[in-house]
Amino acid sequence: MKISEEILTKIKENVVKGRRNKEDEDLEGGSVGEPGVEELVDGALKGEIGPKKIIECINDAMVVVGKKFETGEYFVPDMLASAEAVSVGMEVLEPELLKVGQKKEKFVVATVEGDIHDIGKNIFAMMLKGAGFAVIDMGTDVSAEKIVKTVKAEDGEIVGIGLSALLTTTMENMGVVTEKLREEGMSKSVLVGGAAVSKEFADKIGAIYCADAFEGVDKAKELIKRG
Amino acid sequence: MSREIKKGFSGGQYKPLSAYDVGRIHETAFRILDEIGVRVELKEALDIFERGGAEVEVNRGEKIVRISSELVEAMVKSAPSKIVLGGREKENDLVLEGTRVHMGTGGAALNVIDIDSGEKRKGTLRDIADIAKLADALGNIHFFVRPCIAQDIPIEDLVVNQFYAGLSNTTKHVMSGCDNAEKVEEVVEIAELIAGGEVKDRPPLSFITCWMDSPLCFASNVTKALIEVVKKDLPVILSSAPIAGLTSPITLAGTLVQLHAEELSGIVFTQLINPGAPVVYGGIPSMADMHNLRYIAGGMEFGMMNAAISQLSQSIGLPNYNSAGITDAAIPDIQAVYEKAHSICQCALSGSNLIHHAAGMLESMLTVDYGQYVIDNEIIGMAMRGVRGIEVNEDTEALDEIKRVGHGGDYLRSKHTRRHMRTEFFEPMLASREEREDKDKQGLRDIRELAKSKVKEVLDTHTPVEIDPEVDRRIRERFNIL
Ligand code: B12
Repeated sequence: MKISEEILTKIKENVVKGRRNKEDEDLEGGSVGEPGVEELVDGALKGEIGPKKIIECINDAMVVVGKKFETGEYFVPDMLASAEAVSVGMEVLEPELLKVGQKKEKFVVATVEGDIHDIGKNIFAMMLKGAGFAVIDMGTDVSAEKIVKTVKAEDGEIVGIGLSALLTTTMENMGVVTEKLREEGMSKSVLVGGAAVSKEFADKIGAIYCADAFEGVDKAKELIKRG
Repeated sequence: MSREIKKGFSGGQYKPLSAYDVGRIHETAFRILDEIGVRVELKEALDIFERGGAEVEVNRGEKIVRISSELVEAMVKSAPSKIVLGGREKENDLVLEGTRVHMGTGGAALNVIDIDSGEKRKGTLRDIADIAKLADALGNIHFFVRPCIAQDIPIEDLVVNQFYAGLSNTTKHVMSGCDNAEKVEEVVEIAELIAGGEVKDRPPLSFITCWMDSPLCFASNVTKALIEVVKKDLPVILSSAPIAGLTSPITLAGTLVQLHAEELSGIVFTQLINPGAPVVYGGIPSMADMHNLRYIAGGMEFGMMNAAISQLSQSIGLPNYNSAGITDAAIPDIQAVYEKAHSICQCALSGSNLIHHAAGMLESMLTVDYGQYVIDNEIIGMAMRGVRGIEVNEDTEALDEIKRVGHGGDYLRSKHTRRHMRTEFFEPMLASREEREDKDKQGLRDIRELAKSKVKEVLDTHTPVEIDPEVDRRIRERFNIL
């Protein structure tokens, strides 16, 4: 096997194992001390392997992870570990990517004011990151003013906003956000999700309903395509 | 339908933790409060802790309260070990202490399965009233937590109306969550009007506060409401709800240690606000489905942990509250009942004082079903029979009877039989004990159909004891009762 192929295989393996760097353990608690994605990607770049090849390899690895997740072999923390290993690898690649003018699409996510339920929102944010988005996670109990301010500050860069609410009482605050965005003349696409939210409600406030985080990621990808 | 109420038996037969485990968890929880502390952002709450002698420090912008074991021990001593929750009728009073078991409904579901269409739809104020009426008629349901959120009335009228729909349709103790400090005053006013001024001894209603945002953070909004309730001397339930694998360690022991620390921090807080304030150690430890992080409350471990927290609170001598009977099944199917039966039995036998969610709940707390209340009433009845246990004494051993009947006779003509037969066996309302051939002849009837017909019978015929018309008039004058 050529050295370059060997290192790519190793990157793939370590993404699948979810090892960011040499300090991480694998699924069985072993491998500590062996190079992880960070060291391997760095090595690959130094070995003159192009970033495009490395990204392809990482994508292949994430397809494997996705399959393992779908069949139930992998649990969420496994997928999370892999996604984090990917982010670490991408950080190493970033200077190279900037050279060729590639940057990530930005997404803002928040749980609306009055609500502290964040599990669904966190899953969505995690999956967005895994799909290659840069995510600005504003946390929970976030007022419409703050959301609008953040979107404004990052304007031009933000492709969409994801809002979560689990209470019937706080759900209305999603409408406040869409209303404020409209007032400010910002035609941003807003994805909404959470137990209390329905398609009818989303339509009413001019947002896009997502039954789960997977649907959210699909819709986010559609937003980029639409441009 | 029998309204005979069988409640308050002493449990404690099921102990998932050994005495050593309980002691160890307690010590580790002390270390959490002392070494890690709880995060409290609400200024008012921080002041209460600081004045009370807890250590407040700012750590990377986060305000952390650390509590010494001495302070915890003193505050636990200051909390009452017995609390009486009143019913509108005295026979419905609940005495919370020791291992006395009571079971009731649970709350805040978004959806209701419509009794006529069988479709899942949004909850309404009418549902709360009807389910209260049903709970009033079902003998094994000992208290009422408003079951669903009324989504057909304005949000500003919610709190008061949800309480009142319960209060006016059952004479059992009424409970509800409250995360809105401004509404506490109004609800207390209703309680005073109903109880005729004095609410302290037998409050007809009480609050459940999910003040803890696990892991180890006070949720500011609910904490505000909590402060108001505690100042009013009304009993308050401190419900902390860690989710194993997500907001607490994946291990059951780790989740229990964290929950215990969270509860102790809350108990200290209430006693610092108002020494001697009635506070209930409450919790609802659950799990995350590690495949998708969905909420799990139907697994065996749910019942084990909820039973374990009764042991933990018993060990510090405070009344407790936990959950059983939540299922992850979305429809009233076989999964629903086996999951329910397990946790209901586990919690009942562990001697919990207030077991909520024990009736009606489906779909991991998102939906309630009318027929399910009747089915769960039966499961609870069986569990309570288990709690009552096997009475062993001269009369129940029946040596004289055994002598009298001797070899090969029967006990059908025995006075002893007649004296005990109505109470010794649990008398089911729904269960069928017929053979297949007999059932076929009657036309096979699913127990869910039977349950539904009982619901309709109750809603058509049962009239709960009314609130005094004069009190009702005054409440309607004062509040926007819909
Ligand atoms: C866990 C939980 C809590 C935890 C939250 C912990 C946390 N860090 O998030 C705690 C204990 C703190 C809590 C508190 C309260 N809770 Co709560 N809680 C729940 C519970 C059990 C599970 C929610 C959950 O996390 N599910 C798992 C996740 C994965 O599901 P999800 O959030 O729906 O997300 C999925 C999709 O909806 C979607 N999604 C969600 N958001 C978004 C956003 C976008 C953009 C996209 C694309 C997708 C998406 O993707 C996710 C996965 O695919 C639900 C009941 C239930 N079964 O849903 C009640 C529930 C939501 N809570 C409820 C209540 C009443 C409360 C309290 C008011 C209780 C009280 N009396 O004080 C407080 C409110 C505090 C506040 N101000 O917010 C009620 C809501 C009723 C109502 N009024 O509408 C429920 C229904 C339970 C009940 N029956 O009582 N709660």
